[in-house]
Formats: sequence, C-alpha cells, structure tokens
Amino acid sequence: MNKILNIFLTFILTAFFATSTFAATKVVWWMESSADTDPTVQEMMCDAFNAEQDEVELECVFKEDINDTIRPALLSGSGPDMFDTPGASYIKIYQDAGLVKSMQEYADQYGWQDKLLGWAYNSGVFDGELYSIPKNYETMIYFYNKTLFEENGWSTPNTLEEVESLAAKIKAKGMNVYAYGSAGWQPTHEHLVGNYFNTYAGPENVYKALIGEKKWTDPEFVEAIELLRKHMVDEGYWSGNLETYYSLDWDDFNNEFATRGSAMLMIGTWGFNVTATNFGESSDDWDWNPLPILNSQAGSAPNYQLATGGTMSINSSSKNADGAAKVIDWILSDKARALKVTGSLGYGAWLLPLKYTDADFDPNIDPRQKRFLTEFAEASDSGNYGYTTWTFYPNDPGVHIWKDMEVVWAGDITPLEFMEESQRLWDQARADDALVPVGKR
Amino acid sequence: MPKFLTSINAISWYFLFPVIFIHFFVVAFPSILSLLLCLTDWNGFGRINYVGLENFQELFRDRVFKKAVKHNIIWTVMFLTIPVIVALVIAYLLTGIKRGQLFYRLVYFFPYILASIVNCLIWRYIFHPRHGLGGWFENQGIDFLAKSPFAMKETALYAVAWVDMWHFWGFLVIIYLTGMYQVDDSLYEAADIEGATKFQKFRYITLPMIRPIFVLSLIIIIIWSVPTFDYVYILTMGGPAYSSEVVANHLYSQAFQRMNVGYASTIGVMMFFYVGIIVGFFAILRRMGWEV
Repeated sequence: MNKILNIFLTFILTAFFATSTFAATKVVWWMESSADTDPTVQEMMCDAFNAEQDEVELECVFKEDINDTIRPALLSGSGPDMFDTPGASYIKIYQDAGLVKSMQEYADQYGWQDKLLGWAYNSGVFDGELYSIPKNYETMIYFYNKTLFEENGWSTPNTLEEVESLAAKIKAKGMNVYAYGSAGWQPTHEHLVGNYFNTYAGPENVYKALIGEKKWTDPEFVEAIELLRKHMVDEGYWSGNLETYYSLDWDDFNNEFATRGSAMLMIGTWGFNVTATNFGESSDDWDWNPLPILNSQAGSAPNYQLATGGTMSINSSSKNADGAAKVIDWILSDKARALKVTGSLGYGAWLLPLKYTDADFDPNIDPRQKRFLTEFAEASDSGNYGYTTWTFYPNDPGVHIWKDMEVVWAGDITPLEFMEESQRLWDQARADDALVPVGKR
Repeated sequence: MPKFLTSINAISWYFLFPVIFIHFFVVAFPSILSLLLCLTDWNGFGRINYVGLENFQELFRDRVFKKAVKHNIIWTVMFLTIPVIVALVIAYLLTGIKRGQLFYRLVYFFPYILASIVNCLIWRYIFHPRHGLGGWFENQGIDFLAKSPFAMKETALYAVAWVDMWHFWGFLVIIYLTGMYQVDDSLYEAADIEGATKFQKFRYITLPMIRPIFVLSLIIIIIWSVPTFDYVYILTMGGPAYSSEVVANHLYSQAFQRMNVGYASTIGVMMFFYVGIIVGFFAILRRMGWEV
C-alpha cells in the first residue's frame, strides 16, 4: 500500500514541478477597449504573439475607460502585468506614486531607443528613465473634399488670408467651412486650441512656454485664442455656429463632411479611416493637407503637432516584468507587422511610432495615407513639429484648456483672462513637479 | 455558552452584523476618509500632504463652484415646483378615472424606469439641430429650435432639468396617488353634501390628508437635488461655459479629470453638510409637531 502511495506522490510532485518549471510565464495586459478594434488586436497582436513563441503566454483583457479601471487596481497593489494609459500626463502621476515600473533596463537590453522615433521615446522618459511607450501616434491635419474643390476652382489654403478668403467662398455656396463638433467629447475643443497655438504662435513659442521660458500670457498666445474665438463665434467656421458645433457628435460631423455639408474637416489623423469609409460610399474624392500656417512667426513650413494616443507600461508590482518586456519588444521588433496591424485598423489605432522606411509599407497602402506617414516622419525628424495639449500638458492646465475655452466663446472672459488662468495653473503644476517631459528641440 | 450571547438582543445583532460590516467599509469608512482628505492636496495616487483649510479657502474663491451652487439652488426650486404641481394635478385627475387608470399610470411612470442614458439620448435626438425638431422645422421653412437648447448657455440648465423632470414626475404621481387612495371616502361624501367644488375638495381634504407623503416627497427632492449628476453629465457635461454645471459635476471634474482629489473631497464635505442641514431642518419641524 505504502509503495503505491509513494509512487502516486512521486508522480504528483513530478507533474507539479514539471508544470511549474516548463509552463509559459503568463502576462496579463489590460488594454483600452474599442469595439471596432478589439477583435483585430486580439487576433493580430495577442494571438499572433502566443503562436510565435512559447516562453510567455499573453492574455489581453479589453477594458472600458481604462484609466478609471486601472487606478484602483494599481492602488491596491494588484492589477495586470501591463496596462494602457491615455497619455504621458497619467504616467507622470503613476511614476510619482511608484505604481509603474521603470523599463530602462529593458530599453537598454533590447535597444528600444533605436527603434522608436526620438520624440516618442522621450515622451515616456521621466527623471531619466523610460516608463511608457506610445501605442499610437497622431497629429492634427485637415481633410478636404477634393472633388468639390476642383469643381469650384478652390485652392487649398496655406496662410490666414487664404483661409479667410476660402471660407468666404465656401459660405457663399451655403456650406460650412469645417465640419466638427464636441457632443459626447468635450475635450474636442483642445484640438482647436492646439491648432491655433501651433499655427499662430508657432511651435518654438509653444516649446518655450512648455519649458517655462515664456509666459502663456504673451501676446502671441492671447492673439491665437482671440483668432480662434473670432473664427468660432463671429465667423461660425465649425459647423455653421457655436451651438451646432456643441451639438454634433462624431458620426454627425463625419457624415456632414462626406455629404458636402462642409468643405473641410480639421481633425486628428484618427480621421483617416472614417473619411476613407464615408467617401467610399460617395462619388466625391478626398485628400488631406497639413494645417495652414496662420502667422509668419509660426514659420513657413507646415508643422505637425506631436501626439501620443495611449501608452503601454509595466505595473511596478508585476511578478512577470521580464515577460511583459518580451511582449513589448516583440511588438516593436517588426515594422512590417506593425504596419499591417495598424493598416487593418485604418491607421487610426496602433500606429506605433517606429522608424518606418518606404520598404516597410504594403504596396497596396492608400497613397494619401502613405504620404502622411512619410511626410510626418520627415517633418518631425527635421524639427518641424508642434505640441498637442493632450500629450504635453499636465492634467490641471490640460483640463482648463478645453473646459474654459467655452467660457471665452461665451464671452464671459477675455482671451487674456483665459491665458492668465492657464499661466497660474502651469505655475502650480511646475511647483508641484507635475510637468510631463518635453524633449529638447 | 454565556446567556447574553444567545439572548434575543444578541441574535438580532448577529443578523445586523453583515450589513453594519459592509456599510462601515463601503460607506462610513470612505466618508470619514473623505472628511480627512479635504485637508490634503492628494491627487489620488501619491503622497498625501496636509494643507489645513487651504482647500476651503480655495472653494470660496472658486467661481465655478459658486456658479454650480447657484445652479443647484435653481435646480432644487424647479424640482420643488414644476414636477410637484404636475404630479399633484395628474394624480388627482387619475383618482377620478375608473377605467384604464392602469394604462395612464404606466404611461406616466414609464420614463422613470428607463435608464438615464436612454432618456437623454431621446431628448438629445429630439433637440438635435440637424435631424431633430429643429431640422424638421427648417425643412418647413420655419426658424424654430434651429439651435439645441442643450447647446445654448441661456437654456442649457433648464433644458437638462426639463429632461430630468420629465423622467421624475411619474414617480411623484405614483406616490401621490398612493396617498390619495388612503383618504377616507366619507370625507369627500361629506364635502359633496356641503356642495364643495372639485378644487375645494382638493385644497381642503386631499392636500391636508396626504401631507406626510407630500412633505416626504419634498425632502426627497431637496436631498436628491444635491448630488444630481447623471443628466447633466450625459447631456452637457456642465457646459456650455459652465452654464449647466452643478456641484456633483464639478466634484467629478476635480477628482477624475483634474486629479485634485483633496479639493474634490472638500466639495463633497460641503455637500454633506448641506444635506445635514436639510435633514436637521426637517427634524426640527417634526419636533415642532409637523407630520413630517
């Protein structure tokens, strides 16, 4: 009897240790959920990773409102091995609280700095160490109805005078200049503020204000806000008037643009997919351009505002940090694969900031999309880049921009008062050491 | 086993224990913590620094908070009048309907059982400038509702309150109706003999007889108006230009958008004191002999 028991116990223990020793390390990753993209990400990233190797088993968990979900999980000392955040300003808070792991040793080991675009890598460096990597990059551009422009003999605008002259012609035709709206997403206003800061005050001045060498109350910023107020309230460039702009949501304004309700759509590059889809059902053709420069002090060449749309990081309490780093390295290691994934998502998500070359692109890529990817890389490499508020602003000044812009539009405060409050919040954030990193220009 | 452990009193405590335990950790403890957090500058994650009464000083300088308090007062006044009057009238009229009353009760109560997001989407669609009523009027050549009332700073608060009231007065109808059914019929019969009009019966019999339920409804309205949040958040997010911002919305923005958890706790504490004053006020009325 004892012999049988011994054999049984030996078998059980052997099986246990063998399982423990040879089982793949399990890495859990909480990702921001999006019904449109989750199945593709699961198939092309998570399942593909698991199929290619057997050292690490990756489990992708898609969560709504990731920041609200991850916060209590991290605070309780648990949570997944890897997680997404909406952007660098959140990472700064997690880093201060010791909730996110430094990835510097992995970055050095795997050479991530060489793989990523310089500005994108720097956006995750806090106190000299890497804490996050952008999952996606984006910038602000404008789309236009090419057929409509050709029919009317309109040229795409490059200066303030050209914008205002074209706007008058478009309005005379009974159309709105730009389609856009903020219903369902109040922070939409910050897209417009960022556009005017970068194309009127200019990226150099924005950079100086970000690092504290200039005041946000300087005339160029106040004038930029005044110009935005004029275009929004007095001229009704966006969807005809301020109230309609407040009432239109994503589907409304995209539909308005595709059906000639508006001639142009000033939006982030996440708009490529929906524009291509909507125009696919129309006889009209579309194209895009970088934003027009509204003031000579913003330079003469177009600038692309830098923005990261979501980041990936490792939980400081993860017991499988090495496995998580392997997952990240796998994602960053194959540019063709990365482009295939983002291409499947219409280049609106998972556009990793890698150093792409012409050879990496699928020959079937839409030439307009390819032009963006290459022109953005060239412009940002040669220093022609600006700054979005949602990537380079700390929380409080960032929220102020989109919350209080409405107060300016309502005429309750002046652009100068708006910028004075902005400066006060920046001073406070600087005193609290709450600033997010801005790479040197 | 000691006798006190098996006494009736002890057994009742055994049954209460799970509720008290859960209440302490889910409600009481976080509330106490919130009272302490209002004296700090905590951002929700990192180190907690004691800042004394700084948050309270900031609160009294905060123009948005002042605006939000004003909006909460307007909100409360609106809810204490419009839905109450409408519900009283409808409930009184319903008592006179003998056939198909259940149908009307269902119709009035239906919006109350719908999720707030559904109610909001219905009304957002109705007031949509392109495909709502405004768009329809425009097609008829009439310039009416061309701009959504949710999008105009002059009307946003009232428009949101309208949607919330539309969903709420069915609830009042049901509780008033319940009270009215408990009034003794002999009182109405006596009034009929005296030749009282319908209004006189309502004024001198129905209203006094349902006073406990009526006052209870007022307390509920005042207390529920303090943390009002969902309709504002879904329809306007407090905009445009804070024209529909209410205190709970401001608290949410401070805690979860601006990451000023300490300051948000201060707002929460003020809301707590305000509700405490209301409850205290009604407790005094009760002691003075009011049937509250």
